[in-house]
Amino acid sequence: MMKGETIIFWLLAALTLGTALLAVTSRQIFRAAIYLLFSLLGVAGIYFWLHYEFVAAVQIVVYAGGIAVLIIFSVFLTQRSGEDLPKPSTGRMLVAGLATLSGLALVMFHVLKHAFPVSILEPSTATVADLGRRMLHTGEGGFALPFEVVSILLLAAMVGCIVIAMRVKNKNL
Amino acid sequence: MWSFAALADLIHEELNAQLDPSWVLAVEMILVGLSAIGLFALLGLVLVLMERKVSAFMQIRLGPNRVGPAGLLQTLADTLKLLVKEGITPNGVDRLMFNGAPFIAMIAAMLLLAPIAFARDFQIWDLNIGVLYVSAVSSLNVIAILMAGWSSNNKYSLLGAMRSGAQIVSYELSAGLSVLTIVVLAGSLQMSEIVASQADGWWVFKGHVPALLAFVIFLIAATAETNRAPFDLSEAESELTAGFHTEYSGMKFALFFLAEYINVFIVCAIGATLFLGGWMPLHIGHWAGFNQVMDWIPSSIWFFGKTFFLIFVIMWFRWTFPRLRIDQLLDLEWKYLLPIGMVNILLVTAVAILGWHF
Amino acid sequence: MFLKEYISDITGAVGSLLKGMRRTGYYFLHRGEAITQQYPDNRDHMGLPERFRGEVVMPHNEQNEHRCTGCTACELACPNGTIKVVTKFEVNAEGKRKKAVDRFIYHLELCTMCNLCIEACPTDAIKMAQHFEHSVYDRSQLTKILNRPESKLQDGVE
Repeated sequence: MMKGETIIFWLLAALTLGTALLAVTSRQIFRAAIYLLFSLLGVAGIYFWLHYEFVAAVQIVVYAGGIAVLIIFSVFLTQRSGEDLPKPSTGRMLVAGLATLSGLALVMFHVLKHAFPVSILEPSTATVADLGRRMLHTGEGGFALPFEVVSILLLAAMVGCIVIAMRVKNKNL
Repeated sequence: MWSFAALADLIHEELNAQLDPSWVLAVEMILVGLSAIGLFALLGLVLVLMERKVSAFMQIRLGPNRVGPAGLLQTLADTLKLLVKEGITPNGVDRLMFNGAPFIAMIAAMLLLAPIAFARDFQIWDLNIGVLYVSAVSSLNVIAILMAGWSSNNKYSLLGAMRSGAQIVSYELSAGLSVLTIVVLAGSLQMSEIVASQADGWWVFKGHVPALLAFVIFLIAATAETNRAPFDLSEAESELTAGFHTEYSGMKFALFFLAEYINVFIVCAIGATLFLGGWMPLHIGHWAGFNQVMDWIPSSIWFFGKTFFLIFVIMWFRWTFPRLRIDQLLDLEWKYLLPIGMVNILLVTAVAILGWHF
Repeated sequence: MFLKEYISDITGAVGSLLKGMRRTGYYFLHRGEAITQQYPDNRDHMGLPERFRGEVVMPHNEQNEHRCTGCTACELACPNGTIKVVTKFEVNAEGKRKKAVDRFIYHLELCTMCNLCIEACPTDAIKMAQHFEHSVYDRSQLTKILNRPESKLQDGVE
């Protein structure tokens, strides 16, 4: 008999994969965006299942709350987005299928080859305080430099947005 | 002494005596789900009646007073009406999305119930990132609104959904920043620890000006995030004919309606937990006698009292202020609330590091 | 200075918002000021506002006399033809022929209660009454003749 948590895992995996499949096969772009959202939520569910609550919450904030909403907004602003998309050509579908299959093969190869040693160590729960300390730690195992680099990247993006959005005042008026 | 926690323990022991552990978990999950649904139904009835009475009193009217004593059964009658009404699905809508959207709204509201501490030691799921979880899951609500607006195939619905999206995405920032001030002060994201940190006084009193400022910002942002007047642009009756739920009728409309009120309750519960101490009775420093007297009042009454006080304040906003225009709405967020919130978080960090709070 | 303006903006806004909230809060706490009329439960002791207009009436005194001279000023003033004054010529005590009102016809179904006729009347012969329960089954019942049968012009009204 399957244990409860195994059932939950299979349900989450089915949700993630099923909606992901629907997202790529749907001919309506808005539906595809919503299916993608559910797929991302399924991934968040798996993180919760693994007790990585922080990563799960960040997954929801960033992907479901941020990126999916952004995608949906751009769908709203697209012309004729309510119509069915044209069917992709067979050649492209073939290439896409091949790429997917080779990716799957690569992952499966590594997963099957890797011997997962059963650890007897206590599972460590990373609290938010630990994460924060590691994030600003400059020494060994710290992520201060990547953190700052990402910040600069985001700052540059923000400045770029402001420059694009700012209207130059015409002095002749 | 009788309390929610004791009741939960009693049920847990009873079930453990009768069944094997995995079934206990399943039965408990079902019980929690049922009580959550029960709470929702009750809250819907109470809050809608409260809203109607508060609005009437503020507009010098009497409010519903015909069904039952003093109109207390009015919302029950309304619910009955909505239940037997035909749920119309108009031609030309995206059926799957149209019928799914109300349920997404309800599920998002339901998920938010998990980390809320209703009474002493009485919480569905005390996860260690409680506050982050709340701000993450509350962003799912916008998806339901966008789905409803798009699938209705109606320009008013679409406009309402767009406005709502822009609004929620922007106000999430200041809501997050104001929540963060309390996280900085309490030093934890876990709901139970935040409540425990207020055992010698609520943060709104202990945290000086920054906490008070954050409280005000939180209230404004919460009102905006729940799409309530004066920020109800997404359903503006007079310009968008109810916005994203124009095409909904019967029970599907009722679900949206209920989800709105549940969201109000949840947002106020979070506000009460963060700023007003959740179920923690009013304690002042080391006045042992005073604190003991306050402890006599059950913790659930403290929690629901504070939550309903905040709900009342939000209703007070609704029935006092006129609706904002979309540019005023975004001005308020980006030019006022966000800069103030950012300065405020620097202030509160200084307060926390220097240990100026009580 | 920019910052000063910014802060005074905020305090001004908060002040005015609080003012509004104080007003509604006052009403919330003072239930006695509710203006709702629970009609028809309180038909007997209903407090209608002073300026409420229900219909046009022509007051008569005990001698069955009114003050209407039949000058038709009200008929001219009426924007939608609600009033029709039918005049006749009467011979008075001095043997003079004089214009007088025969039938003052008032179409309640057309009336918008705009009060212009009352303002136009030089002799204050008509006024607005507060009676408002006008519903009838036949529209023709709404056409009324305001001067009572056999009524006369009050003495001294020119």
